[in-house]
Amino acid sequence: MLSSLDPRIARLALPDAPAALQPKAAFDQFETYEVFHQKKDGAPFSYVGPVHAPSADVAFLFAKEQYSRRAACSGMWVVPTSAISLTRYVGDQESVYDVVPTPAPEAPGVPAESEDYLIFHLKKRGKAHTHVGAVQATSAADALEQAKRAFGEQRPVVNVWVMRRADVLTSELEDRDIWSTTPEKKYRDAIAYKVQDRIDRFKQEHS
Amino acid sequence: MIDPKKDLLYRLADDQLILGHRNSEWNGLGPILEEDIAFSSMAQDKLGHALQLYSLLHELGEAEPDTVAFTRNAGQFHCCQLVELPIGDYAFSLMRHFLFDHAELLRFEALTASSYEPLAQVARKLKGELKYHVLHANTWIRQLGTSTDEAIEKLQAALDLTLPYALALFEKTEAEPAIIAEGIFIGEDALRQQWLENISRVLSQTALELPDVTTISPVEGGRHGVHTEFLQPLLDEMAEVFRLDPTADW
Repeated sequence: MLSSLDPRIARLALPDAPAALQPKAAFDQFETYEVFHQKKDGAPFSYVGPVHAPSADVAFLFAKEQYSRRAACSGMWVVPTSAISLTRYVGDQESVYDVVPTPAPEAPGVPAESEDYLIFHLKKRGKAHTHVGAVQATSAADALEQAKRAFGEQRPVVNVWVMRRADVLTSELEDRDIWSTTPEKKYRDAIAYKVQDRIDRFKQEHS
Repeated sequence: MIDPKKDLLYRLADDQLILGHRNSEWNGLGPILEEDIAFSSMAQDKLGHALQLYSLLHELGEAEPDTVAFTRNAGQFHCCQLVELPIGDYAFSLMRHFLFDHAELLRFEALTASSYEPLAQVARKLKGELKYHVLHANTWIRQLGTSTDEAIEKLQAALDLTLPYALALFEKTEAEPAIIAEGIFIGEDALRQQWLENISRVLSQTALELPDVTTISPVEGGRHGVHTEFLQPLLDEMAEVFRLDPTADW
């Protein structure tokens, strides 16, 4: 049996790893989701990073732990990575809207249903994509064209992300109190554990 | 006769402390990294809740929170037996978390209107965290309770095993009539009813079946100091550092 100084491990009664060769297991990864947070009420949502999760609901839980545990946060959105469309990147002082090709005029026929798309701008490389607003559009390409009309005068815009609002899981307004507890939890920060002087003293005594 | 406020506080605080410690045993051993962090973080929340409640007891004349938490023997604890059971497999710990936190959220929501204002204040402060704990529990019970046969079987077994203990969350003490009469708390019967409605609603969205609770005898005794063989070893392990150095600050 596997022995350990950690009583929790000892209690698990784990078998020792077999000595014989074992096939290496395949990676079993979840889908990725992208996470946007709101630092305080009224601030625009901005990108914080991805999480792996088996569903949007679980992604939301993981996002809360991962990205709001040690930072002020008043709301969160998660969206499957596969639901985001993005433009090419341009230089830091430029606008990607200047190089967006004008889509071909729509073929005559029944117009597609339009729906809400959310638009995110990146102002500078290394910064976070930030929500600038929503447009009504029939496709991601159409949404970019609408965004160019609505937000094209903002610059610089190094890169644009577009996603259907329907693909975004948003935190509920009535649950806003789940975000309100962080500031007084200093014990969650490594810096709150002042042990270096004790370690130094221990080393001195035992050197 | 014990002060009804103290009677209630000891039950609330001991539940939080013991389950917080139990759940912290998953730290580093969780099924996946993100869930490990989430579960450990909630365990830490529970220890924080225990501290706030022990602080209220201290204001009422009881010993310092650390003394109360680390120097009593099992027979002096008022937690229900549900919280002291070993962590088992993840399905067990998740199911216990689901059943316990649903009761806690309702309990603290009701306590926000307590006539005992310091407790009402603490309840208002903790409510947001408990809401998140319940959101976490519901999400996993729905996710896994509608997934593979293996997951459903494990969760059903965990539900069957934990339910008799969970029903004893609502074990009453001799102070119950005074607690209700003085407007400190709505009482265990009212809480149990709301709890059953809430857990039934979530479980009905899964392949899991809630056993008929009218045929189950709750495993009571915890509120009166009667505990399983598992509590004393937990207390010994939890108090190990305190006993080595009661002045240790960490």
